[in-house]
Amino acid sequence: MAPLEPWEKVLVNSEAFLATDHGELTCIECHSGTNVADKDSAHAGMVASPSEQPDVYCAECHEEISAAYPSALHSTQAGYWTTLNARNGNVPEDHPALDTMFNNHCATCHTSCGECHVSQPKNVGGGLFTGHVFEKTPPMTRSCTACHGSRVGNEFLGKNEGFPGDVHFREARMNCVKCHEGAELHGMTDATAGAEHRLNGEESPKCTDCHPDVADGSDGIEMHAQHGGGTTLSCQVCHSVTYTSCDGCHVAVSEKSGNPFFETQATYMTFLIGRNPIQTEERPYKFVPVRHVPVAPTSYQFYGENLLTNFDSLPTWVYTTPHNIQRNTPQNASCEACHTNPEIFLTADKVQAFELNANRKVIVGSAPGPVEMFLAAIPQPAGHADLASDACTACHAEGIRNAPIFPESHIGFTSDGCIGCHKLP
Amino acid sequence: MNKNFLIGTALVLGLFFSSCSAQAEMPAETGTPAETEVEAMPTPSVESGECLACHTDKQRLIDTAKPEEADHEAESKGVG
Repeated sequence: MAPLEPWEKVLVNSEAFLATDHGELTCIECHSGTNVADKDSAHAGMVASPSEQPDVYCAECHEEISAAYPSALHSTQAGYWTTLNARNGNVPEDHPALDTMFNNHCATCHTSCGECHVSQPKNVGGGLFTGHVFEKTPPMTRSCTACHGSRVGNEFLGKNEGFPGDVHFREARMNCVKCHEGAELHGMTDATAGAEHRLNGEESPKCTDCHPDVADGSDGIEMHAQHGGGTTLSCQVCHSVTYTSCDGCHVAVSEKSGNPFFETQATYMTFLIGRNPIQTEERPYKFVPVRHVPVAPTSYQFYGENLLTNFDSLPTWVYTTPHNIQRNTPQNASCEACHTNPEIFLTADKVQAFELNANRKVIVGSAPGPVEMFLAAIPQPAGHADLASDACTACHAEGIRNAPIFPESHIGFTSDGCIGCHKLP
Repeated sequence: MNKNFLIGTALVLGLFFSSCSAQAEMPAETGTPAETEVEAMPTPSVESGECLACHTDKQRLIDTAKPEEADHEAESKGVG
């Protein structure tokens, strides 16, 4: 988004602002400084962003939120450190270099109360929204997608040429907070209070919160009924369309200006289904869309050699929830559009050689076979319901205990995929 | 009647004086918390007329604006 003019960033609409609750406070009560005409004298000791200290400036009226927010991800940025530490291997000697890198390039995404509720975020240049009037609901394009723009914003608003915006926006004009409610954003839910990553803990928001009859197929749609009661595929596998992936972001400090900068080597559009790298009780899906994040083994080499020595500990094709949901998509147009269609699966040939090891948990052996094969598959015998192990290949690879040996067409299949065709009794 | 009136008046006066004496004692009993409350009150409002006079005047803001520092990520390339 275009930055505001300097005057525009600090122009107060006194008529509108003074009519609000916050307008009952004087400027100096929140911003300090001195009530004199000379600019430099007036600004001496000024607090530009009072809400950086919510306990001091906000808590008197917004007690619960002010207490919770410092542990929310928008404030702590803990998700950055969770992945940085994992890829670094948590080497103590590397932390000074990583701290410097983080402060130069990542810390600008830390968000104060005011950066959502009264002004644009500082990493897009800042500036008051509407003459210093506080907005209970942050304006979506000047707040949320001002930061979350290049991926989520472009997808949701339909700014990727040739790909429609999210149906929730196109048809219902829903904004971000319709799903991502204040309690979640302020770190006031179990999943978000003190969270270490946005994908840890309960999946929230969840599509089935609003579409409860989809997961178990009780909505009468055959494809919903056939795909594992909402546990085999995440909703986005069938209902999202092509989205952005990036490669090779490197960060450094400019010799010319002394300013930090980044350079991303490639940005391209993808739709690829991979195995779920973070399969948990809360996100049980076997398959999810995966997006390439722009990390490379040398992303931070400006700050030190080998800062990502544990690079392979996390995939570079990551669990993603593209925000461009459609009822009808190319992959759900027919069974064959997905089954037997290797184009939309993250197979090894689509992964760069130096990233193969990092992505071994995500890479799909091959596209699922023809639907006829699934429908004709023999159901598992009744006794299998009590098997403690789901390691099918333990018996069926060599015919142990007279188990039928799986045919040649099954070579490359893994045990956790058997149940997809051979249903439990 | 007069006797009843006198007894009633005496009771009313008695209640009145006892309540007065109770009220008079209250500050002494709660003196410390009351003082704390006064200390915890927000600083009396400071007028901000000069602040608003400038920050509502577009031309004055243009005239007094310092040159903006270069965009910190102006040298960046690609999607962030």
